[in-house]
Amino acid sequence: MTTATMAQNGKATTVKTTFHRETSVSIEIKADPAIVWALLTNASDYPRWNSTVTSIEGKIALGEKIKLKSILDTKRTFKLKVKEFEAEKKLVWGDGQGNRIYTITKNGSGTVTFSMIEKIGGLMFPMYAKMIPSFDQSFEKFASDLKKESETIMSSK
Amino acid sequence: MTIELFNQEFEGIVGQLKSYILRITASITDAEDIVHDTYLKAIDKLHTFRGDSSLKTWLFTIASNLAKDNLRAQKRWTENVTDITKEAALNNRQFFQEAMNIRMTSPHGQYEAKEHIAFCFTCISKSLPLEQQLCVFLKEVYEFKVSEITTILETTEAMVKYYLHTGRSKMINIFEGRCALIKKEGVCHQCSELNGIFNPKQNTQEELMKTDLVKEAEKGNKEHLFDLRMQILKEIDPFKSKASALQLHHLEHNRQVMEKYLEKTVD
Repeated sequence: MTTATMAQNGKATTVKTTFHRETSVSIEIKADPAIVWALLTNASDYPRWNSTVTSIEGKIALGEKIKLKSILDTKRTFKLKVKEFEAEKKLVWGDGQGNRIYTITKNGSGTVTFSMIEKIGGLMFPMYAKMIPSFDQSFEKFASDLKKESETIMSSK
Repeated sequence: MTIELFNQEFEGIVGQLKSYILRITASITDAEDIVHDTYLKAIDKLHTFRGDSSLKTWLFTIASNLAKDNLRAQKRWTENVTDITKEAALNNRQFFQEAMNIRMTSPHGQYEAKEHIAFCFTCISKSLPLEQQLCVFLKEVYEFKVSEITTILETTEAMVKYYLHTGRSKMINIFEGRCALIKKEGVCHQCSELNGIFNPKQNTQEELMKTDLVKEAEKGNKEHLFDLRMQILKEIDPFKSKASALQLHHLEHNRQVMEKYLEKTVD
């Protein structure tokens, strides 16, 4: 699924195949892309505005490694590498199991479309697929938290 | 603008400029040097000043650029600066002897809790990223508009809003977790403890209750309490207030302790 074909209503959708699972969400945000980007790339600030992330250690920059703790599995630390970093447009981090892709697209009406896609899988995927919780709820929360915080900042005086 | 007129207007702004740089660098010497360099640079470039912004905005732009290049301004402290420096002070008899001497002999050696509250904000604000610290001071203490801050810091309005919102939120969270003045579970009682040392005959609680920040604390509106804290900073000139000698001595101590602490943690 591409950003263009995703509904921008903040509702997550998941597509499952035998070897992969892909969850995506897209939402319209009335804010400057610089604000959305700043929120997405300031690691230590995440827990303040994002209710799905409990901590991120490290620097979110191209080639850097980060340690992320999420509400999805509070005991686990995800060790991820920042694979793409295109200011105000695209951020990708991931590990051997999959990638999380964030994109920001300007709409020209003072809004941006924020999208987030995570594709996980591989040949061994069918063996552990049932152990991985659904991402839908946390994706929706992530997107709505980002929208709320970005729009609060944008409308501040 | 003639040099005479500039000098006249500079006199009216220099106090704010100096306190701003002091709060960013935490160094008396650096604040004085940067303000001096700002004056020289402004005189040198005076022919380019067209009045597109106010003179105050123009001077703060020059000073902010000099501050951004200053190593002490660039150094970022830790949120628990007051714990680290308190421990160092307790192990430093000379610090207390000097402070007591200032208290007894200087006309600017009074201890007032609200002056310490302003001092404390200065120290803790150095844990923010520099851009956030600059924005918070420029907007909340020196009352620049967002549009003026974009000029001063040569950045976009969106980024100024981001730095301001994030810096302000972080400071609110830090004080909410630490400051016993605004929350009973707060871990830091330093302003009360120091009042007991420097003003032993005073009833500390009564003194604290004279401060709006403390009076309003029980209502618990974090944003409002932050605004009251900023009001205290606006009203205090750290170089001229009744407690300036005592607080500047304390600030120099904290800066030296933090510089050593940061050197050690980098090693």
